[in-house]
Amino acid sequence: MAGLERSDIDIATRGAEQFVEFYYRAYDSDDRVESLPKFYRPSSSIVWNGNPIQGNEGVKQLIEGMPRSKHEVQLHDCHPVPNSMPPSLHVVVAGTVTHGKAAQQTHPTSSKAVDEQPRVFHQTFILSPDAEKDEGGHVKYYITTDNMRFVG
Amino acid sequence: MRDVAGPSKAPGSRIKAANKPTKKVGHRTRAMDPFKAAGAADLNSRMKLASRLSSATTTNPISIRGASTRPALLRTSKIGTSGTVRVSNRVNTLDAWREFVQGRYNAEAGFLNLERMIDDEVLKKYKMLPPTLPGSSRKEMPVIFKLASQLKPPVKTISLANNNIRSGHLLQTLPHYLPNLRNLSLQGNAINAWRDVEYIAGKKDQERLSNLREIIFLDNPLREAELKAGRSENYKREMTRRFPSLEVLDQESIAKIAFDVPVASSSKTSTSNAPSASSFPLQMALPFVTGVEGTLISNFLTRFFPLFDTQRASLKSAYAPNTIFSYSALTNIPPRARVIGFHRSKDMPNQTKLEWGPWLKNSAGGSRNLSRMGGGLDRVVRSLHTGPDDTIKAMLALPQTFHNVSGAAEKFCVDAWPIGQDSAMQLFLCVHGEFAEAPSQGIRSFDRSFILAPAPEGSSAKSDGWDVVILSDQLTVRAYSSHQSWAPGPMKVQEGDEAAKDMRQPVHLAEVPSVPIPEAIREEVQSIPEPQRSLVVTVCGRTGLNVKFAVDCLTQNEWDVEKAVANFEQVKANLGRDAFL
Repeated sequence: MAGLERSDIDIATRGAEQFVEFYYRAYDSDDRVESLPKFYRPSSSIVWNGNPIQGNEGVKQLIEGMPRSKHEVQLHDCHPVPNSMPPSLHVVVAGTVTHGKAAQQTHPTSSKAVDEQPRVFHQTFILSPDAEKDEGGHVKYYITTDNMRFVG
Repeated sequence: MRDVAGPSKAPGSRIKAANKPTKKVGHRTRAMDPFKAAGAADLNSRMKLASRLSSATTTNPISIRGASTRPALLRTSKIGTSGTVRVSNRVNTLDAWREFVQGRYNAEAGFLNLERMIDDEVLKKYKMLPPTLPGSSRKEMPVIFKLASQLKPPVKTISLANNNIRSGHLLQTLPHYLPNLRNLSLQGNAINAWRDVEYIAGKKDQERLSNLREIIFLDNPLREAELKAGRSENYKREMTRRFPSLEVLDQESIAKIAFDVPVASSSKTSTSNAPSASSFPLQMALPFVTGVEGTLISNFLTRFFPLFDTQRASLKSAYAPNTIFSYSALTNIPPRARVIGFHRSKDMPNQTKLEWGPWLKNSAGGSRNLSRMGGGLDRVVRSLHTGPDDTIKAMLALPQTFHNVSGAAEKFCVDAWPIGQDSAMQLFLCVHGEFAEAPSQGIRSFDRSFILAPAPEGSSAKSDGWDVVILSDQLTVRAYSSHQSWAPGPMKVQEGDEAAKDMRQPVHLAEVPSVPIPEAIREEVQSIPEPQRSLVVTVCGRTGLNVKFAVDCLTQNEWDVEKAVANFEQVKANLGRDAFL
């Protein structure tokens, strides 16, 4: 484990767990237009299914035009990025996502049509520490890079 | 302490005003009232009002038996001032619980002290057992939590310390009534299993204390056992995994990173019908590569994947000295692929032979899917590979693969752009695609997310001819989904079940490609419905049979094109001219 302490891995892992929980909860929530852009800064670069989007304002516009969603995270992994201190985090997430009216159903679709099934998504984030800290003195992270594709 | 019954005072005060001169009744006075049993006339009017109120509130979806309709009874019961008629026991009980909860609330601190309920004077006075006591009725616990949820200002902190709580089941309704609880003490109880903690931590989609900042779990057998076994790190991880918002555990601050999201505002998915878009704002777009020369990316990929397939060890120089690699296996069956039926498709005969075993368990520490990983920090650390040697060793433990990067380009999708600033310029690169796996030759999908840096002068990467060096590499291996997922163009949003009912179609084992129909048979095949029409056209094209004979041939071969064509090959010598176009 050259250069990487167990405690670093522990913090990065917990950070990613918390991020994944908060991020998709915000994405699927009623107040997503307000809450989701807060994960980003004006300098963040986002590519959504091949479309470039700039910063928190761009995310706000994107989410305003997005049908309601329901994500089910099935996988995530996280690396502390080498050569960064405090480390940036390289996070990948995969799972399924349903949009539109079906996202607000509590039960899975009974339809057998391919188009009605949830999609598989894969998303990469790079999270970096901000100069600013939160009121508890914790280093605050934001999304610098976000790449999402529907892959199934 | 003021009367916290606040918001729903109206019926009670109306009757009170009719019976007595106005006088502010504090909760202590009122709690005594049920014992001064009501007069017959009073009781009569009370029952009427009570039944009216309770029938009005039965539709409340969050009502719990014994709690939601009771406040109304309580308010009316306090007007009883004379007579000897016995009041229903349940009314007394709820009133007593209310007195108990209110008496234990420090409104200024937002602190509800529910410690040592067994010693509580109010409960003793009413000869009631705390619900935490073994053998007592547990149904009162939700009543307490519901009453707590009505306290003003809202409860921030609850201590349930020293109550001999054994079962998490008792606490199950806590997240429902107090979802914004910040601090919880369970110190000095008898909780001895993680599954008991699950009742408030919640499994998928269940209610949980997702805004909890601090928990005290000292002096519970579960914690003691973990610590005694030298598993304090594991204990901490299991706790923080269940309460991701936790900042303080057992009075020790947890090192963590923060995000700029107001915790309370991110509510759960709502079922409201607030207007929202019914289509995607953007279409699926082509691979996005910008700010970097396309040749750099293609050089990297056309070298990296063939080496990964055939000579993994020789990739060592492509990894930076402090590189990090891990892989994770997503074993869920993709819903669309399942409906399309790739798994049983005759075009992909090896899918059923694929096995997850070699990906999940191997000498490389196994799949690092942090969403599914139990077993504490050890596995988390062991499945993370740092440095080129460890990385290559881990990659060599994975099944043999074949990525056909020189084949059909649309089967791979690449997004890449520069990240970082000036001197620390890096490149983000993500590849989605598929590979064949040995020995089964079944096809899997994968995603590979890289952080790359320019190969430094004099580095082994540079001398080996790599333009870039790998800083971070995360491979995700999934069950096969078609590359059609990223085919450019508009994308459909799910309609939900209502609309889907009319569109329900039989399932076909494989997607039926739409086949261009030759002029000669166009008219004749018009009357044949899809998907059969495309199959007929395909068979006509491959055999030269006319429509009638193609239909016959397919009918006799279960509408399987391959079988039909094979059958045709066997019998074609015996077919007359009239069978052909």
